[in-house]
Parts: sequence; C-alpha cells; structure tokens
Amino acid sequence: MLQFIIAGLVFGSLYAIAASGLVVTYLSAGILNFSFGATAFFVARLYYDLHTTHRMAIIPAVILSVGLAAPAIGLVLHLALFRYLRLATPVVKIVATVGVAVALPATANLIFGQRPILLAPGIAPRPLRVFRVFHVPVTMDQITVYICVVLMLAVGTVVLRHTDIGLRVRAMVDSPAMTSLSGTSPDRVAAAVWMASTFLAGLIGVVSAPIVGLDSNSFTLLMIAAFAAVIAARLRSLPVAVVVGVAMGIAGSVLQYILPPSSSFTQAVIPSIPFAVTTVFLLWNVARRGRGDDLRANGGVLDRAISYQREHASAPLGWGWAVPVVVVIGPLALVLSGFWVGLVTTGVALAIVFLSYTLLIGEGGMVWLCQATFAGVGALGAAQLATAHGWPLPLAILGAALIAAPMGIVLGLLSIRLGDVHLALVTLTFGLLMENLAFTRQTFTRLGSGVALARPSFAHSDRALAYVGLATFIVLALVIVNVRRSTTGLVLGAVRTSADAARTMGVSVVTSKVLTAGLAAFVAAVGGSFLALSAGAALPSQYSSLIGLVWLAVLVGTGIRSTVGALLAGLTFTLVPGFVQVYLPTWFAPVPTLLFGLGAIVVAKYPEGSLAMQIRQARSIAARLRPHAPVEEAPRPEMVVT
Amino acid sequence: MTVAVSPSRAGAALEVIGLSVAFGGVVALADVSLSVAPASITGLVGPNGAGKTTAFGVISGLVHPDAGRVVLDGVDVTGAPAHMRARRGLGRTFQHPQVFSGLSVRDHVILGDRVRHHRARMWSDAFLAGGLRRQPADERERVDDLLGLLGISELASRPVDGLPLGTSRLVEIARALATAPSVLLLDEPFSGLSGAETDAVVSALRRAVGERGVALLLVEHDVPTVLALSSTVHVLDFGRLIASGTPAEIRDDARVRAAYLGDALV
Repeated sequence: MLQFIIAGLVFGSLYAIAASGLVVTYLSAGILNFSFGATAFFVARLYYDLHTTHRMAIIPAVILSVGLAAPAIGLVLHLALFRYLRLATPVVKIVATVGVAVALPATANLIFGQRPILLAPGIAPRPLRVFRVFHVPVTMDQITVYICVVLMLAVGTVVLRHTDIGLRVRAMVDSPAMTSLSGTSPDRVAAAVWMASTFLAGLIGVVSAPIVGLDSNSFTLLMIAAFAAVIAARLRSLPVAVVVGVAMGIAGSVLQYILPPSSSFTQAVIPSIPFAVTTVFLLWNVARRGRGDDLRANGGVLDRAISYQREHASAPLGWGWAVPVVVVIGPLALVLSGFWVGLVTTGVALAIVFLSYTLLIGEGGMVWLCQATFAGVGALGAAQLATAHGWPLPLAILGAALIAAPMGIVLGLLSIRLGDVHLALVTLTFGLLMENLAFTRQTFTRLGSGVALARPSFAHSDRALAYVGLATFIVLALVIVNVRRSTTGLVLGAVRTSADAARTMGVSVVTSKVLTAGLAAFVAAVGGSFLALSAGAALPSQYSSLIGLVWLAVLVGTGIRSTVGALLAGLTFTLVPGFVQVYLPTWFAPVPTLLFGLGAIVVAKYPEGSLAMQIRQARSIAARLRPHAPVEEAPRPEMVVT
Repeated sequence: MTVAVSPSRAGAALEVIGLSVAFGGVVALADVSLSVAPASITGLVGPNGAGKTTAFGVISGLVHPDAGRVVLDGVDVTGAPAHMRARRGLGRTFQHPQVFSGLSVRDHVILGDRVRHHRARMWSDAFLAGGLRRQPADERERVDDLLGLLGISELASRPVDGLPLGTSRLVEIARALATAPSVLLLDEPFSGLSGAETDAVVSALRRAVGERGVALLLVEHDVPTVLALSSTVHVLDFGRLIASGTPAEIRDDARVRAAYLGDALV
C-alpha cells in the first residue's frame, strides 16, 4: 500500500506543479493556458536533444532548456500573443492558447525530428539510484519530483505573499490599468508571470519525461488532469490546487492497489479519476454558489475604456460568397482522382463536423471542446446500427444523430450555469470521460479495427460519396444560415453578448442555449457518420478530444462564424497534409499542423478568421481600383468609450 | 415558475414587499418596501452603495432575495425567472448599457418587438425558412416609430459596437420600450447623454407613460431631474428605505437632506 502511495505522490506532485502554473497565469492574465502541456513537451524535447543526442552534461542542459529556453518561450508568447488577449473574449483566449498547444509540438517535431522516443532520461544522473523508504523503493527521478514541488511551494508562497513582485502580480488581477497608474508596468509584470509559468512547464516536462513518456499527448493529458485541481481551486486558490493535485495522484495510485489490475474496468476507471474529480467539484461549486462563474480577471472599467475591442469586428461573411466557393469546390472531385478524391471526401465529411462548431461557438458563443466526441457518437452509433443491427444506412445515420442530440441537450442543461472557461473544461472533461469509459469498450474497438461501416450502393465510390457529403453539407449550412438570419439568430446574438440583458427582455437563455447544443450535437454526429463512411469503419481513436482541439484550431483560423469557412477548413485539413505527403520531403510532415496552430493564434488579431479577413481586404483593394467608387475600408477596431 | 395572484396595494403596477438581500456579511437591502403606480414615473434615489442597483437586480429576477416579495400587476413573481417576468411586462435598462455586439441598432429594436409579439421558435426558424420571411409591415412601423422617437433613425443600420455611451443608452431604452413593458426599470438613463439626447429620452418616456400607460421606476443621480419628472420618490440609504413621498415632501425631509441631498436643493 505504502508503495502505491509513494508512487501516487509523484503524479500528485506533477499535477500540483501544473495546477499552480495554470492558476497563476489565470489569476494574473485571465487566460487558462491550454498550451501548458505543449510547452512542457517542447522543453523536455529540447532537454532530450541537448542531453541525449548532443551528449551535453545534465546541469548545463537543464540550465539551457529549463532555465533559459522555457522562460524565453514565455516571453516570446507574451510579446507575440498573450499581451493582446487580456481583454479578448473567452472564446478568443481559449482558441489562441489551443493554437499554441497545436503549434508547439509541431515546431518541436520540425526542429528535433519526429522519431518516437521510448526512454527519456530525467535530470537524475544515470545509472538511476534507488533508495528505500520504509522498505519501499524510491528512484532518484521520483525524489527529484518531490524536491521540485516542495521548492515550488516554498518559493511561490514567499514570492507571492511576501515580496514586492508578488504584490504587483496580485494587483494585476484587478486592473492592469490601475496598476499602471500606480507606477508599475503591467506589461513587464505579465511578461514575468508568463516566463515563470513556462519555467514551471519546462520543469514539469524535464522531470516527468521519464515517468509519463516523452510524447506531446502524454503532457497534454497530464495538463488536462491538472485542470481538475484548477477547477477544485475555483481557478484562484493556489493552496487548494496543490492539495487537490497531490490527493488526486495518491487516490489514483491507491485505487490501482485496490482494484484488480488486469480488469478492463480498472483500465477505464484509473485514467478517468481526474475527470471524475472535475465533475464532482464543478457540481459542488454550482450547488454551493448557484453557478460556476469564471474569475472576472478581465480588468476593470478603466481597462475596458482604454482598450481596443477587436473582437467586436467579428461578423459572418455574406451568403453571397458561398456560391462561387461551392462552384469552385464542387468540380474538385471530378477533376481530381484516386488518392486526392479520397481526401476531398474526408474533407467534406469533416466540414460537416465543423458546422457544429460554427453553430455552437460561432452563433451560440458556447465554448464546447467535445464536438469530436459527438462526431464519434455519430460514427460509432451509425456503424453499430447499420452493421450490427442491419438498419438501412440513412436511418442509421439519423438514428445515431438522434442519440447524440439528447446527449448534447443534457450536457447543455448540466452546464448552463457555467462561465466560458468552466464550460470549456467541463466539455473537454466530458469528451475525455467518453473516450475512457465508452469508446474503449470492445464493442467499439473490435481489437483496433473499429466497427465496419459499408457505403451504400449509390455512393460506393469516393467521388459519389464526396457529392453526397457535399449535398448534406449544403443542406445543413442552409439550416445554419437560416437560423442566423431569423429571429433565433438575433436571440443567439443577444445571449452571446449579454445573457442578463437577454433574460430581462424576455429571452429564455436556457432554451436557446440547450436547443443550440442539441442541434450542434446532431450536426456533429452526422459529420462523424460521414467520416466513418469515408474511412470504411468507425475507429474510436479517430474521435479523440485532442484531435478535436486541432479541428477547432483549423476552423477558427479560417472563420468560426462562416459556413464557407467550415468547408474550406475541412478540405484544408485533409488536402494540405496530402500535398506535403506527396510532394515534399518527410521532414515537412509537421508543417501543416504547425500552420493550423498558427492560424488559431492569428485569431487573437483577426477574430473573424483569415478567410473573412482576406475577402474584406480583397474587396477594399477592388474598391480602391474602381474609379470614383466609395472605398470600403477593412473594419478597424474602434475605441470604446465608457 | 411559481406565480400566484397576491393581495397587493390596490392598482399598483409593481409592488416590492419587505425585500432583504445580503452579500456575505454586507447588507445590501434591508426590509425595503415600495410601490409604483400604473402610468406614472417613480424615482428611486440614494447615495452610491445605497442598494438601488441591487433592488433593480432583485425586481428583474437577476438577484435572489433573502426575504421579501415582488408583485407585478397583482401577480407574485418572486420565484419567477427573469425572462418570465419580462414576458409578464417587466422591462429594464442597465447602469452600464448592455447592447448586443454584432447586432445593428435596428436589430435591437426588432428583437425587443419580436420577443413581445412573435416569440422565437428555433425549430421553425431553422427548418421553415425563418430567415427568408419578410418583415411584417406592422412590425416595421413600430420599429421605425421607436427609432424616430429616440432620434436614432439615422443610425438604424449601424452595428452597435463602438457607439458612444449616450447612444448605446438610447438603443437600450428603445429596445426596452420595444418589448411593450407595463413596468420599466431605468438605471441611470440620463447618465452620459447630451442635453438634446436627454430631451429625446424624456420625451420618449413621457410618451410611453402617457400613451401606453407604462409605469417607470427611475434610478438616477441627477436628483433635480428625478424630482422634476417623478410623481413619487423613494430614498434609499445603506440598504434601508428612509423616505417616500412626493418630490416636495422629499425635498423637505430632514433625514434625506442629512443622508443625501445636503443643502443644495433646499
């Protein structure tokens, strides 16, 4: 038992360090940093390259990677991105950090190579020394983690509570503008906080690599697990985050001791513990306080008065652009052949899934991070109904979508009182829970081959399926455009901006949000079914929440409120990697993912996405070239005077 | 939702009975009772932190009271959510105007009108060409009338993003009036307005009271304006109602002078 507790302490300590880094940046910058895990991976990969590949000694390698490179990443991210996000909408904040989370591992793969690393050394010297504590073996790697968490707690507490710097950081929470008026540069304080946070991320990366493995997904999952401690801390209490993080690690380890090790139940339950903890604390917070509000770390009235409100320029493209785009894309499947038609088919299927984001985030303003899960429900449901139960394919797709829609409605109802950041976390948690508890069932995995889904006779070829998919996309896009232009569109616009004002004019926020959630889950499930048709089988691993984050990054880079953007994003997601695979050297492979991440980062500056930005600029140039025509300016951010 | 017909003060459009609210240990409202007669303007004044905005929050359903009741047109709506109170005829504006980003000035008024006259149904809007339907002539007429009344017709097609504070306030008032309320709560409606804009708002409000019988409850720091407009004035101080009466009675009240007015208005 003691052995399990000591092992659990290691994971608990890692959760605690990660949770501390996340809470500090949220408190000081108002940003929940989804790229924390990616930063940890990048620094750990750099350390590996210095120490293992280039044979650098441990101490200089640690100084270069954790001591210099990690804070430098924080500084660069602050200067290039985070300092522009303080007063951005929660959607933009989340999506921009998701973009960094997508781009950083791709950058690491581009610089250091993509070969998988099976054994990564930590900062403890090799051969690894093993000590015995109460007859339990404890490795030097584990002891390093304990030392790190104790040091972090001691230094963090002293700095935040008893130093001038700590006072300035705490002042930033309320109002950077007021901090500025008192003679402190909020920009410098924020830069220091980001450097400290990425230092912590780097430290976690290096000390945990031998324990969790040097793989970007492992680090992202570690970060997401730490979110549970962040939620328990209500996004603000550092001591609670640390205690819950440590407790969670120990609980997981002790459960491993109690439960039968070879049972599939154990294998499903253990990874789900952080997500169960998230759910419990969210429910506890909502029950105790009536709602799960995000911290109002967006500055005070003065901050808003003196800042540009760039996100207000966000607006959907006119429907007129859809026709030429569809006319151009339509013949693609005719012109292309073989491999490329397959990519178009998959891209169109993905575009249908993307429409669910357009509806949910673009129109409803609800930051859900589990649309990939609903796509998975659609794919697995349709495959089960058609293959195992013999339903006709259209009915199977409809049936699966009708299974997903109530799930979306129930999740919408349960999360209706949550703030945007809480909502993002709870939906991500829901997705990961579904992955661990439902998608891993043998009924769906079928020893790794997934559930087969045969194409119908009328859409047997890739080309025919591409056109059926495109027709489905157009119908669903028309429904979304219709919603946007109707009274419901006005209602969603109202709820998106100010739920209180909408309520006090007679709008039922609950009804509008819940119905939007249900409709979006339906659309995602239909898209998921088409993805399964395109692949010939529903593979649960293709619908992971982490893949969903990359999907979101691609879509927001193109335009989260544009149905045309959804189509282009779907095709971009499949055709660009296809192009790289066929025409460029293999080391280019991470470039598309890097570009997708950068696209999401650009949303910080252009919230309407690159497509709308390009089209508006093209319009502006055309207007300038036209003699005596009124010049249409690209929308400029306007000063809001309050 | 629980609504019940309540024995309230005869004919009151809005009645608040024994409202108490505390945030942690801070008492925001303590046993506050007041009423608003139909087709009248009632003022609610008090120094900063007196509890005026909290009172609006409780009346409109955004803040839950620890004790007390809210009665709207004789119906107890204490347990009703904010949107159900609004559908029963309770409108409000906010101290910091809450306009909807991305919507035009005209959209705001249309939305207010449709919430009252044509409730949105997502399924019919999505699947039955809701977005292609032409705007009914009577709706267009009502919307144009309100935009004209508040002097913002020329801004009708402009997105509200970046509008000056005063104009945002006019948009918010137009939107609230579009919902055809029987009781309208106005939180500092003249703050940030120019003289001409204030005149337009006063004219619109008087017309709403005179022609539509709307009862207005007005929170405003511009005390002379409140005293000039209102038939009844209530005064809050540290969460307690310290005086109620006609403007003349309020001017002469010693407690009000001591707590709020000072000697300037005497």
